[in-house]
Amino acid sequence: MRFVDEFRDAELGRALAGEILATVEPGRHYKVMEVCGGHTHSIYKYGIDDLLPANVELVHGPGCPVCVIPMGRVDDGIALAKEPGVIFTCFGDMMRVPGSQGTFMDAKAEGADVRMVYSPLDALRIAKQNPDREVIFFAIGFETTAPSTALTLKRAKAEGVPNFSCVCNHVTIVPPLKALLESPDLRLDGFIGPGHVSTVVGARPFHFIPADYGRPVVIAGFEPLDVLQAIHMILIQIAAGRCEVENQYKRVVPWEGNLRALDAMAEVFELRPHFEWRGLGFISQSALRLSEAYADLDAEQRFSVPGVRIADPKACQCGEVLKGVIKPWECKVFGTACTPEHAIGTCMVSPEGACAAYYNYGRFAREREVV
Amino acid sequence: MDDHCTTCGDLGVEMEVLRVDEDRALALCRDAHGTRSTVEIGLVDAQPGARLLVHAGTAIARLEEQRA
Repeated sequence: MRFVDEFRDAELGRALAGEILATVEPGRHYKVMEVCGGHTHSIYKYGIDDLLPANVELVHGPGCPVCVIPMGRVDDGIALAKEPGVIFTCFGDMMRVPGSQGTFMDAKAEGADVRMVYSPLDALRIAKQNPDREVIFFAIGFETTAPSTALTLKRAKAEGVPNFSCVCNHVTIVPPLKALLESPDLRLDGFIGPGHVSTVVGARPFHFIPADYGRPVVIAGFEPLDVLQAIHMILIQIAAGRCEVENQYKRVVPWEGNLRALDAMAEVFELRPHFEWRGLGFISQSALRLSEAYADLDAEQRFSVPGVRIADPKACQCGEVLKGVIKPWECKVFGTACTPEHAIGTCMVSPEGACAAYYNYGRFAREREVV
Repeated sequence: MDDHCTTCGDLGVEMEVLRVDEDRALALCRDAHGTRSTVEIGLVDAQPGARLLVHAGTAIARLEEQRA
């Protein structure tokens, strides 16, 4: 398949691994964070980690939208799903994310009308087909899915669909990166930038990382050669004493982003003063809510929601995994009490979660040859 | 793309445009497995034959040629 097969070529992969080995300084340890859960997934699916020298360590970042949803928001959603006459819609993975009293799947089993959708447009369609019911869409995701929600809300407003509303949990990628860079727990040497978020926001929002924190960023695609090449580009920057934002994923990411998507988001959303992230706590201006012009489509204003903050289960160490402080297999409940079938923490729910990626692909390469 | 995450889309789906309905900003598209679906194309320039990156039913980018 075009754009895919050529980026999975094993021979080119081995050649790139050799170039990476030749670029690293023996005795120096490199910590590179892959910001996006999609990269985490690719790294373990294709065994990219095993191709790297032992002194190049990949640290998993907070870029999985399911993993960062706090339990209180799930509880709020379940309370809405149980409102009489409501059809509650959400993406598939969200169905299995545990709140304090269970999941959306459990709520469905107890009689709530919870339906899985692939797109917010599907939710809008359900609203048009059921004019006597209130249809709520539980929106999650970074800047990759926020444009889709924005366009759907614009359609709902233009077409006058009074029974459609949205719980907005969209988050933005830059504030948690700033929080991580300020964290004393973590010393990082560079970042593999989020490929698809960057198709929307462009490269400019990441300039603060080299400018203010002196770390290189390479925006990367999701095929194995993309990830390997991005790691190589970061290591070349470090070796040359350079520090800038580079774009490895030029076939998809325009430097300036998608201006039409940014315009739609600016019209429909505004920044929340603060938002809670699982494991990272409250981060200022890190999430979106509906703007004043779209307040009538905001489910949080149309309905009463509990809005209670729920602490994560004590056994769960998703927070430390999301910050890259511990590896998934270092969590006390990894693979025992917490599995994809019975997840305690969100990182085990989504295929993009670091714990699920480790668990599903059996990547336990904890000892590698030291260069 | 196999086993992609339906929630975020950071592993988005690459699709080819088959037919465009410009009035409604929608396009009939096909993925690598041949599955057809309707995609919102309000954010990109999409003509039949174009390849798009689709997240949650919305195309957010056009794919351009790049050599591995």
